[in-house]
Amino acid sequence: MSVCRARSLSLFGIDALPVEVEVDVSSGLPGFSIVGLPDAAVQEARERVRVAISNSGYKFPTKKVIVNLAPANLRKEGPAFDLPIALGILAASGALPPGGLEEAGVVGELSLDGGLRGIKGALSMAEGARREGLPRLLVPERDAPEAAAIGGVEVYGMRTLREAVEFLGDSARVCPAEPAVEDGRPVEAGEDFADVAGQRYAKRALEVAAAGAHNVVMSGPPGSGKTMLARRMPGILPPLTMEERIEVTKVHSASGEGNGTLVTRRPFRAPHHTVSTSGLAGGGSNPRPGEVSLAHHGVLFLDELPEFSRTALEALRQPLEDGQVTISRVAATLTYPARVTLLCSMNPCPCGYAGDRRKVCRCTAGQIERYQGRISGPLLDRMDLFVDVPRLTRQELREERQAEESSSVRERVSGARGIQALRQGSPNSALSGRRLREVCALRGDAETLFSRAVDRMGLSGRGHDRVLRVARTVADLSGEEEIAAEHVAEALNYRRSHLVGR
Amino acid sequence: MEDDDRAKYLFLSLLQARVGSSLVSHLGNLSPEAVLRTPVAELAGRAKISEKASRAFAELQRSFDPDRMQDRLATRGIEVLTPVDEAFPRPLRSIPDPPPALFVNGAVPDTVSVALVGSRKASATGIETARALGLALSERGVCVVSGLALGVDAAAHEGAVEVGGLTVGVLGCGIDVVYPRRNRALFESVRRHGALVSEYALGEAPLAWRFPARNRIIAGLAGTVVVVEAPEHSGALITARHALDAGRDVWAVPGPPGVRECRGSNGLLSDGAGVLWDIPEFVDAVAREHRVPAAGGASAGVQPLPSGLEDTEAAVLCGVGFEPMGVDAVAKRSGVEMPGVLTALALLELKGFVRRDGVGSYARRAVP
Repeated sequence: MSVCRARSLSLFGIDALPVEVEVDVSSGLPGFSIVGLPDAAVQEARERVRVAISNSGYKFPTKKVIVNLAPANLRKEGPAFDLPIALGILAASGALPPGGLEEAGVVGELSLDGGLRGIKGALSMAEGARREGLPRLLVPERDAPEAAAIGGVEVYGMRTLREAVEFLGDSARVCPAEPAVEDGRPVEAGEDFADVAGQRYAKRALEVAAAGAHNVVMSGPPGSGKTMLARRMPGILPPLTMEERIEVTKVHSASGEGNGTLVTRRPFRAPHHTVSTSGLAGGGSNPRPGEVSLAHHGVLFLDELPEFSRTALEALRQPLEDGQVTISRVAATLTYPARVTLLCSMNPCPCGYAGDRRKVCRCTAGQIERYQGRISGPLLDRMDLFVDVPRLTRQELREERQAEESSSVRERVSGARGIQALRQGSPNSALSGRRLREVCALRGDAETLFSRAVDRMGLSGRGHDRVLRVARTVADLSGEEEIAAEHVAEALNYRRSHLVGR
Repeated sequence: MEDDDRAKYLFLSLLQARVGSSLVSHLGNLSPEAVLRTPVAELAGRAKISEKASRAFAELQRSFDPDRMQDRLATRGIEVLTPVDEAFPRPLRSIPDPPPALFVNGAVPDTVSVALVGSRKASATGIETARALGLALSERGVCVVSGLALGVDAAAHEGAVEVGGLTVGVLGCGIDVVYPRRNRALFESVRRHGALVSEYALGEAPLAWRFPARNRIIAGLAGTVVVVEAPEHSGALITARHALDAGRDVWAVPGPPGVRECRGSNGLLSDGAGVLWDIPEFVDAVAREHRVPAAGGASAGVQPLPSGLEDTEAAVLCGVGFEPMGVDAVAKRSGVEMPGVLTALALLELKGFVRRDGVGSYARRAVP
């Protein structure tokens, strides 16, 4: 009997690389071994495959079975090779015509009764199959709608091993899976801006941040509504484009958080402050995307910023700069996308009540300084807007009139983003250096006002650029081509205020 | 003989730094000589010093080496003044509880001095007032005395330094200790524009009780004490009490009624302190009182640019109170939409009509 080949894919970061599953069944002492750098989960495939084949009503060959996963130098992980191995063995022992395996990529985890379980990264697999020129891809039924979303490759969802054998053996007709139906609502129910009473200053700041993809720090006493505001931030960002949806879904699916459909809402991730460095930025011996990648094209919310470990926050610097995380291991280097809007909240001091009109702050200046000093300068340099969120009295809350809904804010934000995409192809937060000077050139009144502000408010070089970028966004929001004095003036409000020192 | 007395005062000063501030006054008219000869047990009885303190006393008696101590001070350029020295500041001799020794880094100016004191966590308005006062007094040639703490103290010193005036910082810790640390640069400029003084020798820690004690020196060095902004039970009020005990004038800057941060200073006003309602008027009063010669020289102060207000700006300014308030509150009171409020506030800030504080609240400025 000759060697049978099945074509499969292995997840590498968020991309899938082709893997060929070669099965040789030869006479000799009965046995079953897998070679080609398999990890523990792939090794255990031996037991699952053997039992699943028997339980599906086929005969596991009483011969010497050797499975090779090629290329042999790539480390293979996870249970997704169960199905191609099983099909390869069945083809090699004659239960399945080998021709059927030529034109199809196969991935899937087997259960002992021969059923198929969902896998990680189905969308990436489908993309890999398309790139490899495979016309068909067999995936577990749960993952079919997700995988079908990529287009350009026929995706078939399989419930059992037997179904797969019959499909490949041409004895069963199965229709290609339909792409996941989007539910179209970009805002989670009950997470609308209109639900937040008052805080119009903070809302305006978030609107500006959303319009220019600027990172924001919100500072205010406990209970002032920082978290409530942050949760509503994804709702005012423009809806995900198809391309963005696919990228976001790939990351989520690769980390095992996919639910079989395309992600349609902007991600909102709020890791707890005890998160580890690799939990936040990605990594681990078996690399996984971190929170910053899971928030790709969405919002990463760090509540109680100074409580996060310094090393974890330092790890955010590269993704904030490059929009991706690179994880280097001895074996390989992986890249996860991580283009996020970073939203942070903090209290003004350890007790939280500095500057509050109704509660006395009990912190010493030294404590406040140490507390604020926990956030590194380089991280703060990547934050464009600083907004203070005061506590509202019950009186103020009652008096507040109906607030604007997320949808109308989102329209303005989308308009501003559109202008930026046309002008420079990137959001304003990415402007720096010469490009910044070109795009944010000031004339007349605006220039006078700005130079006066630089003098009087003691803006640093970085603070200077920050105000320019934000002023550009404010101008975009009002749809104006030139930055006017009023835009600069508004941007000045979002500079950092120093609680200690003057 | 004089050197001998100095050594004794130095010893007393070290002792006082261990046991509390009023050893000298407890012992009444005993000369330092007599104090040193008194057995520890008797001294403990008379000065009511604790067991622990008398142990410290015995320990000090064994280890005290005046020559070595003076050498160490001299290498750091620090001068020691004791009541037997000619240069011991005259006003300090007349307070009820003068320090046995004063360590001086720099030169204490022999001119009319005004102490500016107030809260460490003063409002933006308080800070600005302190600064303006420091500046105005310096321009008039009056020395500004304060405690080099954060808040009002730092602002007062900065105001004086800004126009190259004279200023003295009184420390509540060892003369070579920088506390609070963030004022390091200010310490240096105060030293250059006058002096750092302390009754504590090298390396003494900034213990909490030492600050109220040093306040008597602040009050003692100055002819007039101004409380800029102080809540009840604050160190600034202790300074005011010391000032009254030493027969100094006490003034206070009025604050809005009922505001916690101003209750102490407003309370002083109701008790009859001078009302500092206008800075030039106050500076003139001080100059008249102490017969300060008229000072020349143009003001180097930053004057806000003269500029009219547009309608929105005027409307927003009406919404800004004298107490700091958040942007939302300003928007509601002025009835202007949010982006407009933000624009107007920044312009008003640049034109000098309002002031933003550390938590993003706005208040009207004293002098537009």
